[in-house]
Amino acid sequence: MRLFLLIFFPFLLFASNTKFSLGEKLYKEACISCHGKNGKSNTDMHLPVKPRKLDKSILTQNQSFQIIKYGAHPFGAHADIMPTFKYIYDDTQIEALSVYITEKFNSNRDKKIQTLLNKSKYSPSNANIKTMLERGKKIFLKKCAKCHGKTGDGQSEYVRQSKNSDSFIYPYNLQKILLTPQQIFLFSKYGGHFWGTDKDDMPAWGKKYNDEQLQAVALYIEQYIIQR
Amino acid sequence: MKKILFTLSVLSTFLYAANHIVDQKGKTFIPHTLKVKVGDTITFKNSDPFSHNAYTDDPANEFDIGIQAPGTDKTVKVKAPGNFDVECAIHPNMLLEVSASK
Repeated sequence: MRLFLLIFFPFLLFASNTKFSLGEKLYKEACISCHGKNGKSNTDMHLPVKPRKLDKSILTQNQSFQIIKYGAHPFGAHADIMPTFKYIYDDTQIEALSVYITEKFNSNRDKKIQTLLNKSKYSPSNANIKTMLERGKKIFLKKCAKCHGKTGDGQSEYVRQSKNSDSFIYPYNLQKILLTPQQIFLFSKYGGHFWGTDKDDMPAWGKKYNDEQLQAVALYIEQYIIQR
Repeated sequence: MKKILFTLSVLSTFLYAANHIVDQKGKTFIPHTLKVKVGDTITFKNSDPFSHNAYTDDPANEFDIGIQAPGTDKTVKVKAPGNFDVECAIHPNMLLEVSASK
């Protein structure tokens, strides 16, 4: 085993460094104009939705890969933001980009998420699923549906009334989102701004609802809203 | 006699019921506390450039004015005495504390 590691470790390291270097080159080529040199998206470009701050992203490397490849629209975002790069780059290049973005800007993501979960009362395995789903549905219809619509498709009275306004926030079509229940819980608890979206985006519901209630909402979204 | 009593009751409503203006600006209810009497009305203005949705879960005074577009007003009537909170269904940090007396 030691011999195996001695022989192959330098190759693995080299492959990883190559991916990182390729990702850096492509980032400077394609992403830097919107997401900025440091991933903080401090751009002056006039865009309908401000680009995500990559150093705060909740996404895993694989989820970033999906979004770079197909764009954010197939995963519930407004059509005008984050385009698809599948016609420009192949999978190897997109993987290199996702590696670079994750390692360069968001290397403490896993640790941050684990710390937040440790501080939370997030315990899906101990829950009474039926009760949780009923509780989650009630909160979803009362609060989330105001922006995301009753079926989570992003069509609501709020959208109909506000879509021509300058401050329209483009609620996600939740039927298409990539997030896991754990990520939905953390995103709704701390709000979009905490995870790198514009400040007027998704509010932090952790001040209004406790962890059990938000966990119930995340479960309801996973079971009844997301259509994968 | 009944007509007289009815007219008096309608008149008294107009004479004594007050209308309280609450603005929604900068994702805040202004004022954020309100003393009212049963029969008074509260008019919610929306001075923000985005929609709000004021509501209360208080069983005796329950209302949900729905999505309220910028620049519009919506009015509700105070039905029962007691203290209750009004919140915005879209912006969880907004809170209006209402104290209603007879």
